[in-house]
Order: sequence, then structure tokens, then C-alpha cells
Amino acid sequence: MDFNGLSLDQAPPISAPLRFFLTAPLFGIIAGLILLFSDASALMSRYSLESIAVTHAITIGFFAFVMLGALMQMLPVLAGAKIAKVKLVATYAHLLLSFGLIALLVTFLWQSSLSGFLAFVLLGAGFLLLLIPIAIAIRGVSNVTPTIKSMKNSVLFAFFTLFMGLFLLYSYLLKDFSALHVALANIHSVWAIFGFAGILIIGVSFQVLPMFYVAPKFKNFCKKRVIWLIPIGLLLWAFLNLYDESYALFAKLWITLFFWAYATTVWKKLNERRRPISDVTVWYWRSASIFLTLGAFLWIFDEYFKHEYVVMVAILIGGGFIMSIMMGMLYKIVPFLVWFHLNAAGYMSIPTMNEFINKNLARLQFILFIIALIGFLGSFYAPILLEISSLCFILSMIILEFNIIAPVRVYIKIKKTKPDFDMSSFMA
Amino acid sequence: MSTIKEFLSRDHSRCDELFAKMEDIAMKSLVDAKLACGEFVNESERHFQMEERVMFLEFEAKTGMTQGPTAMMRHEHTQMRSLMKQMLDAIDAQNKDKFFGLSETLMILMQQHNMKEEQMLYPMAQQHLSEESQRIVSMMESMIVA
Repeated sequence: MDFNGLSLDQAPPISAPLRFFLTAPLFGIIAGLILLFSDASALMSRYSLESIAVTHAITIGFFAFVMLGALMQMLPVLAGAKIAKVKLVATYAHLLLSFGLIALLVTFLWQSSLSGFLAFVLLGAGFLLLLIPIAIAIRGVSNVTPTIKSMKNSVLFAFFTLFMGLFLLYSYLLKDFSALHVALANIHSVWAIFGFAGILIIGVSFQVLPMFYVAPKFKNFCKKRVIWLIPIGLLLWAFLNLYDESYALFAKLWITLFFWAYATTVWKKLNERRRPISDVTVWYWRSASIFLTLGAFLWIFDEYFKHEYVVMVAILIGGGFIMSIMMGMLYKIVPFLVWFHLNAAGYMSIPTMNEFINKNLARLQFILFIIALIGFLGSFYAPILLEISSLCFILSMIILEFNIIAPVRVYIKIKKTKPDFDMSSFMA
Repeated sequence: MSTIKEFLSRDHSRCDELFAKMEDIAMKSLVDAKLACGEFVNESERHFQMEERVMFLEFEAKTGMTQGPTAMMRHEHTQMRSLMKQMLDAIDAQNKDKFFGLSETLMILMQQHNMKEEQMLYPMAQQHLSEESQRIVSMMESMIVA
């Protein structure tokens, strides 16, 4: 057993997760700007370069950044697993990924192959630099709980997503498309969303919902089986897509069934929660549950309409489900990290978590985000809505950035003063 | 007889329930929450002492680790005690915003603390103290809180 996992310095330095969390809304703003300046008709197709650019600004810039930051923070707490040289790894990986993603967006928007090769190298290096130490840390965990299992599976899907993504980019740059290019792009996106992000979110919520809201615990069936049933569905789906597409619907039904059941369970757990508090984080869990349900059904429905609705599915599941939950969690994690690190450093008279973020601004951010999502869906029928929805989205990302910077500013300010207690002997 | 891990994990859930009950009452009226808050604080204190005065000592004696996980857990108990005291003060001062700010902070601190205990420290303790498990649990059960 790893006895060194639990020591006073076990939490990673605050800068490691925060740099990822604080960058995420910035890429959200960039995604919003691309949407604002794109033609509505181009965005109707998932294969237009504008759509691909927006998707990656959100999936890498927001989702992957938040997930990687959260994994770094959660692994020591959940499993006593420490990531080796976490500060160094986080700093460099963050730089590589940020520049890599910018290069990737430039590649798609301005068709520059030079930046394409740069993106290939930087993103590949950035992801591997972080995913490998995370995978090693998880492998060393001896008490494997369902949440840790979900992290294992999620990271495995992250590797596959990365390799497929790099291969797709490479073929795009060389204009050398294999016969399986479209099928591979399909698997890349579905595994990224349901595998990398979906499984991680489900696994973490086993802990988070009972913890933060004193909601009833998830049943053992959910915790033990779903973590395997979803990956099996995803593998089956990929296999059928490559070999016999006519049966792919069965695997799709399989995957959807579990995600829909999960959405319903989340809703029920929230209703049965023992804490009466209903803050913006609860609203985000609820909106995630609704959008996931709609997205899951539309994904099946889409099968009968020549995939006309697949972009809407992406908005519902990517924006409505994944992004909702991540923002809700950012509102909890960032103030807590600030409080925890200040308190551990001996500062006793500090604001409580609720005082770090202006509640009304958080509510406004939520409302703007939901309006933007509904507007994006509506813009399929009324393209005129795209512009105003993009503006709402950008504004909500700006407010999100402001809201999560607010606690960090308090942190910096207080850190400049002298602590109430000298904790240096504890921290050795 | 339950194991150390089961016994203390169950006690966490019991404290969570008391916490939720306290918040529920405080939501309606802060004055009325004084009793529930006192109950939650006392029961949490009992839990801390069961660990600090019984289980941690046994663990440290057995493993020789006095600066490891138990030192960390003791430190977090101190952090939580301080927040609990401030919560009682906020009730006396009738400051609802302050109270819920503190309870939110305590909640997350408490939960990540419990998680570390339930997923790492308790399994470790159970492994090292399996033979003495029954004796330790009954000592914790019969302990009188100082």
C-alpha cells in the first residue's frame, strides 16, 4: 500500500489545476467568436471546417482542459495517487496544449498546413505528457473503487481518441484519406464524448452527488456494471461501424440506454437529496440531465433521418450535458481550492466559499448559457438566431471567466499578507 | 460486529444526515437551528475523538507512522473544528449568509476528508489492525467524549 499518498503536501500545488480551469472559458470565448463569424449554413454540417474548429475549441479547450485539471486534483484525494513532478508536467502540458489548440484552429480556419504540423506535434506531446503520468498514477492505486475504474476507462478512451485524432489530422494535412476516414472520424468523436468525457463524469458523480448534496448513494449495480457496460457498447459500436454499419443502431441503443438511465438517476438523486440548498451548481446538474435525455433520444432518432440532426445532438450532449456539469463543478472546485490552500497555509480569517463568487453573476451566467444553447438549436430553423445566440454564449463565457478568477484574485491578495499561524513546520 | 472501516464509514453517513438536518432547519429559521447545529457539532466531535484517541493511536503504535496519514487527518480535524465553532457563532449573531457560507465550506472540506479516510486510511487500518478490530470498535463505541 502507498503510505506516502497521504501526507500534508499531497494536494498538488494550486497552480497545477487552476491554470487548466482558468484557460477553459477562454477557449469557450474563442469558440463563440468562431460561431459568431461563421455562416449558419456552414455550421449545419458536421464536416465543415468551421464546425470542426468550433468542436475542437470546446472539446479540447474546454472539456479536456477541465478534465485534465480535475484528474490532477482528484487523484490524490480519491486514491492517494500522486502524479510525478505534477507542477512541471502541468506547466509544460498546459503550454503545449494551449498553443497546439490555437495552431489546430488556425489550420482549420485558414487552411494552413504549416500550423497543422505544428498542431500535430504540440497537441500530441501535450496530451501524452499529461496522460502518461496520469495513467501511471492510476495504475499504482491499490484500492480500486468504481470511480477509479471509471477513470481508468476514461483515460484509456482518451488515448484512443488522441491517436485517432492525430491520424485524422495527419491524413488531412497530406490530403491522403483512407477509405475509413469518415468512419474513424465518427469513432473519434463518439469515443471522445461518451468514452473520455462521459465515463469520467459518471464515475465522478458516484462520489460527487452523495458528497456535495447528501443525495442517496448510487446502487451497486450502477457503480459496478455501468462502468463496463458503456465501454463494451462503445467498442461494439466502433466494430459495427467499421464492418457492418447496418447493425450499428443496436450498439447505439445500448450506449444511449445507459446514458439515458444515468440522466434519469441524476434527476432522481437530486430530488432525494438531503441538503436543501439549491444553488447554480444544482441547476447545472439538472440542465445536464435534461439535455442528456434529449440528446440521447435525438441521437437514436437521427438514425432515421440520414444524420441530419447530428449537429443538434452534439449541441445537446456536448454543450447541454458535458459543459453544464463541468461549469457546475468549476463553481464548487475553484472556491474550495482557494479556501483549502489558504487555510492549509495558516490563513484563518478568510472569506467562506460562498463569498468568493457573486451569486447573481453565477445565475446570470447560467441563464445566458441556457439561452445560447436553445438559440443554437433554434438557429437550425431560423439562422438569424445564430448571431444573438453566439453573443449570449460569448458573454456567458466571459462572466464564467470573471467568476472563477474572482476567488483566485482573493487568493493572490491574501497570500501577500502574513498568515495568522506559521504552518511551515507542518508543510515540510 | 462491524469492522473498523464499516463502523467509522457508517458514522460519517450519520454525521452527514445530522448536517443535512441542521441545514434544513437553518434554511427555515436560523434560531431554531441552534439545537441541531449543536447536535451535529457534538456528534462530529465524538467521531473525531474516536479516531484521535483510539484508532489513530492504535494505528500509529502498530505501524510506527506518526507523521503520515494520521497527522494529516488530525490537521483537517482542527480545520473542521474551527469552522464548526464559527458556525455556532454565526447562529448567535443571526448571520444567515455567514452560516451558509461556512456550512458550504465545511461540507466540502468534510467530504474530501471522509473520502480520504474511507478510501485510504480505513482500509489501511483494517489491514494492519484486523486482529484487534473488534476490540478497537468496542473501545470506540464505549468511549466517553472529553
